[in-house]
Amino acid sequence: MTVDIDKTAGGPAGTPPAGPEAIKAIPVRHYGRYISAVIALALLAAVVYAFSQGKINWGAIPDYFFDDRILSGMGKTLLLTVLAMLIGVVGGILLAVMRLSKNPVTSSIAWFYIWFFRGTPVLVQLVVWFNLGLVFEYINLGPFYRDEWSDFMTPFLTALLGLGLNEAAYMAEICRAGLLAVDEGQTEAAHALGMSHAKTLRRIVVPQAMRVIVPPTGNEVINMLKTTSLVSVVQYSELFRVAQDIGQTSGAPAEMLFLAAAWYLLLTSVFSVGQYYLERYYARGASRQLPPTPWQKVKANVLSLSSRKGATA
Amino acid sequence: MTDKPSRTDAPVKGSTVPMVKAEGVHKSFGPVEVLKGIDLEVKSGEVFCLIGPSGSGKSTFLRCINHLEKINAGRLYVDGELVGYRQKGDKLYELKDSEVALKRRDIGMVFQRFNLFPHMTAAENVIEAPVQVKGVNKAQARERAMQLLDRVGLADKAGNYPSQLSGGQQQRVAIARALAMDPKLMLFDEPTSALDPELVGDVLDVMRDLAESGMTMVVVTHEMGFAREVGDSLVFMDGGVVVESGNPRDVLTDPQHERTKAFLSKVL
Repeated sequence: MTVDIDKTAGGPAGTPPAGPEAIKAIPVRHYGRYISAVIALALLAAVVYAFSQGKINWGAIPDYFFDDRILSGMGKTLLLTVLAMLIGVVGGILLAVMRLSKNPVTSSIAWFYIWFFRGTPVLVQLVVWFNLGLVFEYINLGPFYRDEWSDFMTPFLTALLGLGLNEAAYMAEICRAGLLAVDEGQTEAAHALGMSHAKTLRRIVVPQAMRVIVPPTGNEVINMLKTTSLVSVVQYSELFRVAQDIGQTSGAPAEMLFLAAAWYLLLTSVFSVGQYYLERYYARGASRQLPPTPWQKVKANVLSLSSRKGATA
Repeated sequence: MTDKPSRTDAPVKGSTVPMVKAEGVHKSFGPVEVLKGIDLEVKSGEVFCLIGPSGSGKSTFLRCINHLEKINAGRLYVDGELVGYRQKGDKLYELKDSEVALKRRDIGMVFQRFNLFPHMTAAENVIEAPVQVKGVNKAQARERAMQLLDRVGLADKAGNYPSQLSGGQQQRVAIARALAMDPKLMLFDEPTSALDPELVGDVLDVMRDLAESGMTMVVVTHEMGFAREVGDSLVFMDGGVVVESGNPRDVLTDPQHERTKAFLSKVL
């Protein structure tokens, strides 16, 4: 027996010692896959062809792509997204902590808030904010500020409050899920070390909850970016409204809609990349090794390619 | 005591006030009464072992000592001070959260499931409480953390996250983390129960070393060997009461109660 093993392992002089012979088999042909790929490509080509032959002046899109009005509309869209998300996140954390608190009054208020804002369409909320002058004729903050509601509620403020307060309700549920996902042993360990409730929350629980909170929050940001287009109904000149306006004056309304869509797609793509790196940051310690970034993957592939070339050359 | 010369001086080091004193401690979770009147005394500097079947209330009692659980009746003192309450005349006042936290600083706790902070490296776990709670400056805390990690044999793992450490290593980091607060009392809640058998020894070695340094330790454990070798006192609990107590070597070799005999015949 041992003699046999020696023979196969050592082999004749000059050939490298190899294990069992590598399998070289003819792979199964998946004809179904070829056919479905061809059909899918054909359909795609048909759609592209239809759009290229339609009565759309594609040339108008690059003409207006970096138009000042478009860029300022995009700036306002971004500003609105960031500020509304800021209100949403801060409000969401506050509501989540309120809902988890032992005080029945605060937790009920938080429950009611979430129930109301999640239960009504954001578009309706926006219009209601705009028209709240029927309830509050004046806004009166004592000696600091006093004005009529219609003057106070600018389109920007309406948009910001409408989107932000609605977002807070969604963020509250996301944050609550994140806080509940952290093992109770963590809180106990922190308390046993003499840490206060607030410090335990800030130093121990929230950083771990972030791993659960960040991915859905990223989705919320992307959603928010697109939802800002709704505020065109309250006269706020963000990207979508500007695109519509230009469309009406330039005689290329459909083209401007495509242009807006392209910009939205571009912005959401950028946000997605940011989300990837943020998730990676909060995953530290959760898995033994962080997944490589796309850039690291590219580098690794290039390196392995060049080393393979070196080996064959 | 003659078979343990290294610790003969330890118990007399402290004052005459017992480190932990329980008088008729009761604890219920809803309708279930888990502790039905516990009386015991842990002297300063001694290693006090709690054994018993699961569900006997030994972990619950341990958690009462640093007020992770509130007791329903009786009195519990740590270093002569009431746990969780302040007595004025014949009235008891609940302590504020901040006051409870202040007292917990002096009581280290090691958990069965380690409960290391997973988003921090081993060193950061040890540094966290001294910096955040006591306000020790970071460089000083780091230096001390490295000493403690060296003491538990993990100086080379300071930069590793808990997920990159074995169970035994995690538990030793957890011990270092508790020691970083310079506690006068250490509580161990089945510190080796979640470990692979071959990793238990490392953790017990660290605990033995700690006992020899004169630390007062209350240890809930199933490691009878450790209790016999290192323990100064031992209590056998069952059904929420203390069934038998005394010197570990006496109780473990010659139990007096039927219940203790039955339990020991199964675990030894």
